[in-house]
Amino acid sequence: MSDKGQDVDLTRAKQNTGVWLVKVPKYLSQQWEKASGRGEVGKLKIGKAQGKTAVSFSLNEELTVVQCSGEKVSSVRSPREHPFTIQTVGGQSLAVFTETSDKLALEGMVVQRAECRPAVSESYMKLKKLQIEESTKPLRFSQKLEKAVTTNYKPVSNHSHNVEYEKRKKEEGKRARADKQKVLEMLFSAFEKHQYYNIRDLVDITKQPVIYLKEILREIGVYNSRGPHKSTWELKPEYRHYEEGQEDEEEKME
Amino acid sequence: MTSLGSSSSSATEYVVRVPKNTSKKYNIMAFNAGDKVSCSMWTQARMERDMSNRRIYGEEETPDGAAGSEFGKKQREEARRKKYGIVTKEFKVEDQPWILKVNGKAGRRFKGLKKGGVTENASYYIFTQCADGAFEAFPVHSWYNFTPQAKHRTLTAEEAEEEWGRRNKVVNHFSIMLQRRLRQQEQGEEEEEEGEKGGKKKKKKGGRGGDLRIHDLEDDLEMSSDESDGSNGDDDEAKSKAKQDKGPKGKGKKKKKKKGSDLEGFEDSDDGDFEGLEVDYMSDESSSEEEEPEKPKPSKGEDVPKGIDEMSESEEESEEENKNEEDGKEEEEEEDGKKTPVQVEKKKKKDSSGESDSSEDSDIEGEAASALFMKKRTPPKRGGVRGSAGSSRTGSRPGTPSIDSAATSNTLRAAANKLEQGKRQTTVPSSETPATKRLKMEPSPQSSSGKSTPQPVSGKSTPSSSDVLLTEDAVRRYLIRKPMTTKDLLKKFQTKRTGLSSEQTVNVLAQILKRLNPERKNINDKMHFYLTE
Repeated sequence: MSDKGQDVDLTRAKQNTGVWLVKVPKYLSQQWEKASGRGEVGKLKIGKAQGKTAVSFSLNEELTVVQCSGEKVSSVRSPREHPFTIQTVGGQSLAVFTETSDKLALEGMVVQRAECRPAVSESYMKLKKLQIEESTKPLRFSQKLEKAVTTNYKPVSNHSHNVEYEKRKKEEGKRARADKQKVLEMLFSAFEKHQYYNIRDLVDITKQPVIYLKEILREIGVYNSRGPHKSTWELKPEYRHYEEGQEDEEEKME
Repeated sequence: MTSLGSSSSSATEYVVRVPKNTSKKYNIMAFNAGDKVSCSMWTQARMERDMSNRRIYGEEETPDGAAGSEFGKKQREEARRKKYGIVTKEFKVEDQPWILKVNGKAGRRFKGLKKGGVTENASYYIFTQCADGAFEAFPVHSWYNFTPQAKHRTLTAEEAEEEWGRRNKVVNHFSIMLQRRLRQQEQGEEEEEEGEKGGKKKKKKGGRGGDLRIHDLEDDLEMSSDESDGSNGDDDEAKSKAKQDKGPKGKGKKKKKKKGSDLEGFEDSDDGDFEGLEVDYMSDESSSEEEEPEKPKPSKGEDVPKGIDEMSESEEESEEENKNEEDGKEEEEEEDGKKTPVQVEKKKKKDSSGESDSSEDSDIEGEAASALFMKKRTPPKRGGVRGSAGSSRTGSRPGTPSIDSAATSNTLRAAANKLEQGKRQTTVPSSETPATKRLKMEPSPQSSSGKSTPQPVSGKSTPSSSDVLLTEDAVRRYLIRKPMTTKDLLKKFQTKRTGLSSEQTVNVLAQILKRLNPERKNINDKMHFYLTE
């Protein structure tokens, strides 16, 4: 039971490192992803105001540029100030663990939960408006084409696919009846691989005309007209030795 | 890093960094506060994905290659699924629960289920403070809620239900698990624990013999004999419960059959007759069943003239249903598997007593009842009920023993019969009913059988000793005294007295008759046997 499990690295957990779990709005996290260099995204201000801890995050200037789809470019900027709302962890004990491709490690316990809220401002409202517009656009839409599409469905005297097919058929020619022995060999080797075969598949494998093949099959095989393997051919029980070699079967044939 | 005291309150500024390397995925491990999990207490922890759901997702694999496989099966299955648009959910390892084992084998186990929808609308970040005072924020990849898994034994659903039923009686709850553990240990062995058997009293140690208990109703009975069976408590209960179930179920089925056939047999019965009847198919009590067939019978009796033939030709089931009636009538007779002529003669005999047609008709129908049921019915009760119910009947059937006496009092044989019947309960006639019209026509006291030889129903032919032995001597005596039909002979050797089943009686009698090879004479179109000294 423990063989498959990975040992969880508890070194950091032992240090009793406390972390904060912060809920961040989507747009902000998007901006953060665009951070360059070392990944500096902003500054966190922790202070005491009237006895209560006030935490606030301010986004770096360059990251306030909101990338928006469509024609509007940089007309909207995300707000910079984001006060944090502090919440208690209570009710749940949260731990953080990391997973790398080969290792699991416990990073620490959550000591504080916070929610990052944007400071309500004009720019924020505009941003939100933009977001709403985007989200209300349907995923699929109908578009009018100026010109009719003429690249498909051109009438053709003979489709290329068809031409190829006919050429292939011509080359192959009609299926010739091979030696019965040879055919039987082929059949037995096929039935060694699988128990049930469709007549079409057998024709493909043996490259024999259907009638001839059916005759041979009737000798050595049986047709399942119903049951789980419907309309398939299988070898007769006496020929069925899935672990034995072919010599036995050939003997039986005689 | 540097402090900018822009506001009156002191504030320290920290740089927030969001590292770019994404190889490490951060996840949240949430525990319920009530579980009192403290990560610092963990000395060792192992975690792995719980792959037990894989087989649910994995399609049933047909043997690949060689026996049982089909050429191109996979492709065909895929094509078929595409055609029908069947979309099977993939088994994503990422979404599988975690199994966390803390502090080795003796420690706790947790199962962590992934919480969905965490990253859909808002992102969670983990802010950790680095050595240089800056904060680093890592996005949370997924959230897992970890719950502790019970290591102690728990009851299965069936056991829990059992215990629930006994909750008012069990005082010592600790014994419940003890019982279960012991039960598992000693599968197939006898349980020797004291105080467990019977278990009606709450005992400190044995507490509940729950596992050995057979039936709640038997709580107050000392069922030690049952419980000391070798089989294990569970099996006992299962078996006995099965038996119990079979009992009422069997009865229920019979009841049901009766009910159905009740309705079948009636041609002109009023539908409204059965509306108010309460039917309890699965109950343990059988009294209700007795009452119900009784009620329709009187009404049936009234419909006599029309429905006679249909009724008489009704199947065995209707006969079963009317067995109560039959009981009274046939008490002195043993009919098993005999064909209609035999019945006819019986009926004729009864006719002579002047009983009403209706009663006979209903009797005819009910002839083929099982011995078991017949034996259970007490004659007086039936007689009483019948007496009260049969308005159209003459009141000449107060009780089973006296029925036949009235009918056959005018013959010696009848007198003898009367004596015998006075002591006995009914047996089960199970033959088909003949046309009753014929019966009415011929009121001869003596039963005249239409068939010459009794027809053995089954292959059983092992006579057993009893009060009245079905021996060659006895038969010889009867046949010497006066000619008798096979039917009469059978009446002599009632199943109750001889201890044989009706089938056995028939077989044995047949053998005896073969040996004796009596002479045959046709009296009143019925084949009689007799012997001359």
